[in-house]
Amino acid sequence: MGWKDHIQEHERRIAKARAMGSPKRLAERAEAGILNARQRIEALLDPDSFHETGLFAVSRRPGMEDKSPADGVVDGYGRIDGREVVVCAQDFTTLGSSSAINNSNKSMKMWRTAEKNGVPFVYLSECSGARIPDIMGAVGMGSVGEGFIFSRRRLVPWADAVLGMSFGGGTWVASVSDFVVMRKGAVMAVTSPRVNTVAISEQIDPEEMGGWRVQTEITGKADLAVDSDEEALQAIRDYLSYLPSNCEELPPLADVPAGSGDDANRILDLVPEERRRTYDVRKVINLIVDRDSMFPIKERFGRSLVTCFARIQGRTVGIIANNPMFKGGALDVDSCDKATSFIASCDSFNVPIIFLADVPGFLIGVEGEHKKVPGKIMNFMQALELATVPVLSVVMRKSYGQAYINMGGGRSSEMACWFTADISFVDPAVAASIVTGLDPKAEPERFAAAVDEYSLGCSPYDLAGQYLAHDVIDPRDTRQWLARMLEAHQPRRTGGLGAHHMQSWPFTY
Amino acid sequence: MAEIEIKSEIAGKVWLIEAEVGQAVEEEDAVIILESMKMEIPVVAPVSGKITEILVEKDEAVAEGQTVARMEG
Repeated sequence: MGWKDHIQEHERRIAKARAMGSPKRLAERAEAGILNARQRIEALLDPDSFHETGLFAVSRRPGMEDKSPADGVVDGYGRIDGREVVVCAQDFTTLGSSSAINNSNKSMKMWRTAEKNGVPFVYLSECSGARIPDIMGAVGMGSVGEGFIFSRRRLVPWADAVLGMSFGGGTWVASVSDFVVMRKGAVMAVTSPRVNTVAISEQIDPEEMGGWRVQTEITGKADLAVDSDEEALQAIRDYLSYLPSNCEELPPLADVPAGSGDDANRILDLVPEERRRTYDVRKVINLIVDRDSMFPIKERFGRSLVTCFARIQGRTVGIIANNPMFKGGALDVDSCDKATSFIASCDSFNVPIIFLADVPGFLIGVEGEHKKVPGKIMNFMQALELATVPVLSVVMRKSYGQAYINMGGGRSSEMACWFTADISFVDPAVAASIVTGLDPKAEPERFAAAVDEYSLGCSPYDLAGQYLAHDVIDPRDTRQWLARMLEAHQPRRTGGLGAHHMQSWPFTY
Repeated sequence: MAEIEIKSEIAGKVWLIEAEVGQAVEEEDAVIILESMKMEIPVVAPVSGKITEILVEKDEAVAEGQTVARMEG
């Protein structure tokens, strides 16, 4: 065999492995406007930055070698905005990218490499589940039990795009990721509807089981849903732009877009002075942060609380804000879970946290108690008290009861109140009803007098006067105050790094 | 066009009916405003579309999860 033969054989093998699964399946995807695994990697990464590894791996099952190019997963190294990342893309056209020994070993090798080298790990999920028959029998199952790893710590950011039917392994990775984006039409679930039907005789609509509405609105396991593969991959690029490559680095500084903060005066038009009236806090956040820098996390889940990454003077911040537009901004089970996971994420990656409080309290009632709301409130508090990144809090209007404390009250590196702030245990009208037992319709004057009595001593100056807040500010100065406090509270002794006490906290609450 | 139920996320009393049958609404537009927790809390359209039915009246008590209107979207 001469050099020419070696070269030809080598090139034949490369071409075969890169061709992925059947041409028919690839053509069907192209027809439907769905990218294949290699196109997805190309769309995700900076041009010409991908270097593949594991191309020649195939199924370990004798006789399957020719039917398992790359064993159904395309792995490698690339760059996003010039920064190194590790990427794995499941190739559904090859055996449904089902989980088998080499398929999974490849992914695990990549995630360990990402953690060891301190670079983000990006996973593109589309997986039919475990591969039968490979995983059948004692040796099949035993090999998975012995060899596979499932735990991770938040050492490097993990981002997952669920881009098709995703069961088993594809969903496990999404479930331990810091950020999950779904393409509408994709499904994320433990197992396929077919397995469900066989196992428990239940006919299931996949969308109802784990479609984008379920995962973004009911479970909150997905942070975002988009219409196309391209949008999902762009969302991962955007997400990573806010974060450091690993927990021992600081988030990258960005340029400050022209016009940032120019509309700060409009805050007074957006926020009604009367505390009964609601507004959309996302509009307020947009006025405070660098222009177009707001990146919502779990926007459709637990909507009475907004969590988002954004930038102020080019620095990444994590914002947690009550949104009176939904449930009056009251904190419920979902919004507590959302706050807890967001705090753990920010603290793990050295992102300062900003609270914007306008909260009537916790949404109390039977349903909340049945869903363990006291535990959720305390999880939120645990996260807040364990955080070692700078925490800045701004009380915009009302902030009542335990929710005042959860929203950073008395637990912030620096705390300011807008001059509209109103701080107490409950709304004065509620206190008047509880204490006096008066019927406001029957005795309006006596009731109004009681409300007036319980409204005393609730002002921001009362709080700041006792040095329980550090400042009272004009709402229009919020951006300026936050920018200056971010500089002042930069933890210089550690080079800006936190202690990351929540690094190993769960990813699902 | 699918028929979609507009449900209240919170218990309260109907304070204002903001949309009319036949009216086009955008996602997150207020359809009903409830009085709850001493606040005026909107019940918003879950998607963009057209209101087909309003199922509550002013001052009516509404339970959490109750359908207050229907729409096509």
